[in-house]
Amino acid sequence: MGIKLLLENAHIEDIRYFDAYRKNGGYRSVEKALKMAPDEVVEEVKKSGLRGRGGAGFPTGMKWSFIAKPEGVPRHLVCNADESEPGTFKDRYLMEFLPHLLIEGLIVSSYALGSNVTYIYIRGEYAWIPDILEQAIEEARANGFLGKNILNTGFDCEIYVQRGAGAYICGEETALIESLEGKRGNPRIKPPFPAVKGAWDRPTVVNNVETLAAVVPIINMGGEEYAKIGVGRSTGTKLISACGNINKPGVYEIDMTISVEEFIYSDEWCGGIKNGKRLKACIPGGSSVPILPANLLLKTAKGESRIMNYESLSDGGFATGTMMGSGGFIVLDEDQCVVKHTYTLARFYRHESCGQCSPCREGTGWMEKLLLRLDQGQGKISDIDLLWDIQSKIEGNTICPLGDAAAWPVAAAIRHFRDEFEWHITNAAEAQTRNFGLAHYADPLPVPEPAVV
Amino acid sequence: MIQFSQEQLDKVNRIIARYPQGKQKSALLPVLHLAQEVFGWLSTETMDYVATLLNIEPIEVYEVATFYTMYNLKPVGKYVFEVCQTGPCMIQGSDDIVAYIGEKLDIKPGETTPDGLFTLKTAECLGACGYAPMMQMGKFYKEHLTKEKVDAIIAECRSQALVNQ
Repeated sequence: MGIKLLLENAHIEDIRYFDAYRKNGGYRSVEKALKMAPDEVVEEVKKSGLRGRGGAGFPTGMKWSFIAKPEGVPRHLVCNADESEPGTFKDRYLMEFLPHLLIEGLIVSSYALGSNVTYIYIRGEYAWIPDILEQAIEEARANGFLGKNILNTGFDCEIYVQRGAGAYICGEETALIESLEGKRGNPRIKPPFPAVKGAWDRPTVVNNVETLAAVVPIINMGGEEYAKIGVGRSTGTKLISACGNINKPGVYEIDMTISVEEFIYSDEWCGGIKNGKRLKACIPGGSSVPILPANLLLKTAKGESRIMNYESLSDGGFATGTMMGSGGFIVLDEDQCVVKHTYTLARFYRHESCGQCSPCREGTGWMEKLLLRLDQGQGKISDIDLLWDIQSKIEGNTICPLGDAAAWPVAAAIRHFRDEFEWHITNAAEAQTRNFGLAHYADPLPVPEPAVV
Repeated sequence: MIQFSQEQLDKVNRIIARYPQGKQKSALLPVLHLAQEVFGWLSTETMDYVATLLNIEPIEVYEVATFYTMYNLKPVGKYVFEVCQTGPCMIQGSDDIVAYIGEKLDIKPGETTPDGLFTLKTAECLGACGYAPMMQMGKFYKEHLTKEKVDAIIAECRSQALVNQ
């Protein structure tokens, strides 16, 4: 069994309620942190090496240290619970089953940042979860962990839950802030960064649910101890939400030292490919990260076994690697069609583009139309090049990363599965009745001999 | 005449109080959710009413209501089926589920049955990828859908509607 820091108590009955949560060591980190100076709490998080769990992987402690502290201006912590990245459903699991873990993390983090009013912005579709969170908030308040003068330390904190209303873009932190202010979710141009001018022009930190929950074990065990778990700059544990053609879809906590192969095939995790099929491809970090064929997923281009952590997954850059992203692990078996799958993702990004920047607004629509045409067997070879051209003109040319997120899956699909795209054109009629299959995508790759010096 | 009850107005005021003084516009998304819950959908009249409540211009409400997919700008059926069709659900057969519901209710995605009971919609990723195929129905998710499960859900909605009549 791997180390569990977040889901350790998830199986305990009634852990959703304060009494059971408290009995199992809950809210110790609040008691500990509130005896420290806020900057010392920030320091612990820095030492832990915790990286943002929402997808970008930016060091959390560093993000916190950027918050401006102008005299007399309130600061805010906002929890990003807008989880909408296809393949990702880990934050939902945390909030549904361990709401107090998030509330505890929020109290400690609010203290560190000096936020007396903290918000949880949750995606509107998770319509039943605000009730769970609000109940946890009320219980915490009734037990003196929220409200005025928490544990007689003089620290005041309120937490409010706000529901979004169906917009993937609101997971981008400045769009989230706009939405919190009651506006359309159009991302802002940075700078100024939210740490200087965020919600209502006040210094604001936006962190993912899992990131804030991870603050609890960091404070409990100390930043240095936390940093010992994992490997390199991938410290601590990460939640992976696994889905697709596997035997055991679900949310798993890993310590970032296990291999991708073990994660897919071990009974402790995904339990192998469903129906005894073979692995064709995988998107390991949510729909925005590059898809990899089985051979490159399990082994890097250097022939080393690929590990489930930030560095190893991105080994080889986009040419032969991918990203850890949000941990939305989508597995495709030999029966899946990469063209069709990429089409659904392109449709998703067209649907979710806020429309502010022309390359994304227009480009996502073009990509969707071209991919639909290819999937329906009406494409031309030049369409593949056109797709490549469009995605390359979106990437890097938009205000927010949604443009990149829309371009990467298309680029990676063409990069690694070009044969399958071409087959859809040259064998158009056949492509309507069967899929391209596994082809050579799981074949071992030749590993170049190291040059003799 | 569009009008919240006193209890609902109190709720609106509690929502406004979460935000800094003078930033009552921040309450717009939650208040629109409440309005939709009470009135079923967001008519121009409803949106104008919400604008008065929050002391903002009607256009500020329209631009938000048209941006977010969860707000219904047209009347919808009593039961709205929003079937996720993004990648992870697609590979688990969401297309078949959409087709089956459509066939069973004799409507296409985006349409409502003539008796006003059911609306079928397709949706993009709802964050239930491990429990695919799935759909949202009102406040809750229906996961691991099969044709049999769809039959049972529709039958249950129908009998519930009869009881409420």
